[in-house]
Amino acid sequence: MNIIEVHEVTKRYSNHLALDRVSLSVPEGVVFGLLGPNGAGKTTLIRILNQITFPDSGSVYFKGRPIEADDVRQIGYLPEERGLYKKMKAGEQAIYLAQLKGLDRETAFKRLRKKFQQYDILDWWNRPVEELSKGMQQKVQFITTILHEPSFLILDEPFSGFDPINTNLLKEEIHNLKKQGATIILSTHNMASVEEICDEIALINQSQKILEGNLYDIKTQFKKNVFSLEIGGETTEVTQMLAEQFEVLATNRLPHSVQYTIHLPEGKCANDLLAAVMPYVNILSFNEILPTMNEIFIEQVESFNQAHPHEQQ
Amino acid sequence: MSNNKTLLIIAREYITRVRKKSFIIITILMPILIAALIALPTLLVLHSEQSQHTSVLVVDDTEIFINGFENTDNVNFSYISGNVDQLKKEAFEDEKYDCVLHILDNSAGLRSNLYYREHIPTTLQSSLEGQMDEIFFNKMLQDSLHITPDRFAKLQELTKSSVTTIQVDDEGVERENIAEMNEIVGMMCGFFIYFVIIIFASQVLRGVLEEKTNRIVEVLVSSVKPMQLLVGKIVGIALVGITQFLIWIVLTFGLVSVAGLFVKGNIVPEEMAEMTDGGSMGAINNADFSVFQKINEYFSFSFSEIILCFFFFFVVGYLIYATLYAATGSVVDNESDSQQYTMPVTIPLILAIILIPTIATNPSGQLAFWFSMIPLTSPITMMVRLPAGVPFWQLLTSMGVALLFLLFCIWFVAKIYRVGILMYGKKPSWREIFKWLRKA
Repeated sequence: MNIIEVHEVTKRYSNHLALDRVSLSVPEGVVFGLLGPNGAGKTTLIRILNQITFPDSGSVYFKGRPIEADDVRQIGYLPEERGLYKKMKAGEQAIYLAQLKGLDRETAFKRLRKKFQQYDILDWWNRPVEELSKGMQQKVQFITTILHEPSFLILDEPFSGFDPINTNLLKEEIHNLKKQGATIILSTHNMASVEEICDEIALINQSQKILEGNLYDIKTQFKKNVFSLEIGGETTEVTQMLAEQFEVLATNRLPHSVQYTIHLPEGKCANDLLAAVMPYVNILSFNEILPTMNEIFIEQVESFNQAHPHEQQ
Repeated sequence: MSNNKTLLIIAREYITRVRKKSFIIITILMPILIAALIALPTLLVLHSEQSQHTSVLVVDDTEIFINGFENTDNVNFSYISGNVDQLKKEAFEDEKYDCVLHILDNSAGLRSNLYYREHIPTTLQSSLEGQMDEIFFNKMLQDSLHITPDRFAKLQELTKSSVTTIQVDDEGVERENIAEMNEIVGMMCGFFIYFVIIIFASQVLRGVLEEKTNRIVEVLVSSVKPMQLLVGKIVGIALVGITQFLIWIVLTFGLVSVAGLFVKGNIVPEEMAEMTDGGSMGAINNADFSVFQKINEYFSFSFSEIILCFFFFFVVGYLIYATLYAATGSVVDNESDSQQYTMPVTIPLILAIILIPTIATNPSGQLAFWFSMIPLTSPITMMVRLPAGVPFWQLLTSMGVALLFLLFCIWFVAKIYRVGILMYGKKPSWREIFKWLRKA
């Protein structure tokens, strides 16, 4: 089942089109990467999911029915532009924000206490936010995002400004939340973390969705017949044969082995390569190299922009 | 559900402000300041008038003025005849007299010299001149009419006249009133309502701006509707204002009462009454609510009516300015930029302030009428006019226009605010703002 379904959503601002008939589905229980260059329309889409703004046309379904105001109770949102009331005490503020999400005061208090204990930050409770360091503030902010135990989380650039330790902590949290059954939309420019955490992705460019699907499927979809082959030792015959029949992209000579990156020409498959090499040398390892999300992102966005140059801002 | 959230926001806005040190300090200091402003000049005047007792020795060569000067609390006259130079010396030597008035016998006209050692009240000279003119004129008149001093005194009593100003209102009820008093109270009301409107409305502006520059607004509007957020803020701050008033009113009454008791203990009431213009201000020393009953007699409007109107115009004026300022706060990124947008709203306000004295002196003129009808100036101008009396239909029209304008402001802010708070980095042009207004 899809927790969120976006149907043909269009949003126009006074001087530009922010979303152009965008449709996408987020299956329940996944981490969904929402990708796209700056200004592509990600923030607008996120705001529409949060019911901060509303689409000009199209519709949004939450758990199978049209989204409604009260659904904010089940949604947690960590915006890219983060902020808390500077003068307000950390604990008081977190409870206030949870109450605005519909949680009652007592439950909010209990959960927050537990959460603060877990992070070992109980002594921050009565300190005004402005006295906390940036990293501390981000922790408090993240806690306030999940305090009402949302089943659907939207995290916009959650890792920006986090040090490696806190980044890891956050990744663990995301992992835990997923295990508990939450669905998470992750909007980020950090492609490494997308590969690490996301199950599904959608790529938005120039107000349109240009790619959507399972991360592995997409990577296979864009694979370029590139393989990595490691053999026991180099012989001139092998080198010659590979150069003649295949396309060697790179050769990496290691102390006791050689590693080739090989592109298979049209019409040849992995078995052909193995069969060709087998008579000459020992094969130590052989595997297909899938394109990275980074490569796919850049390639897709650039080719789209070349096809639609007039719309570029 | 949604009402609960608005209540939560109201509570936060209220509690965070009321807990601030600056709120507590201003709330306590203000009544002390007001009480001091009322009590201090009174005490000072009393003190100086009391200590400045002047004794005048009159050496009257003409013998017209003997026993003719009027002894008052502050000035005492003694009469003697003889050699001036000798008397002068004696008078100053044992400091029995502060000054010596020598009236010369001169057939050509009245001439006199006032000798003094140390400083004498500035009013003494003119007071002496006035009295001497009167006494001399009466003496001449008496002589030419050939009547006895007794008959002359009776004649004087008979010919005395006085004018009392009486205002008649719509229902034909008549009231004695003192124009200057209306003027002063009107000006005070005008300035006071200006200050409270501007103080609390700009708190709304700062609050909106704080949430925007903090970026917390995005989290907030993902939980509540933008209008709930705004209504919560405006109502919360209004409640802070009302709390402050109530404390001010109670504390000021308290302090004035204490000050009044203090004054009463020191001054003989008649003295006080005489000194303060026939008792209108002297009411202060009665130290209870009869102060207002007494003051009421001099106003065309009752005190309770002024307080009711004040509350109405404060609430409506505050709401008008708060909504317009909130719209401003939502479209800018920092406080210095906000001035550019508040300008069109602030100009009428400044005009109303500049015109307070003019309107106070002529509260029923054309200028006063129109400024009390224009909604951006009416809360101030109407409060200035009120003490002097405003026809009921004008008051109602002014209130109605203000309420209609408030509805327009609410419509305006509803369009601007929710777009503005989510715009970072760039200031919209006036043209863009008009576009937002046209968009549903």
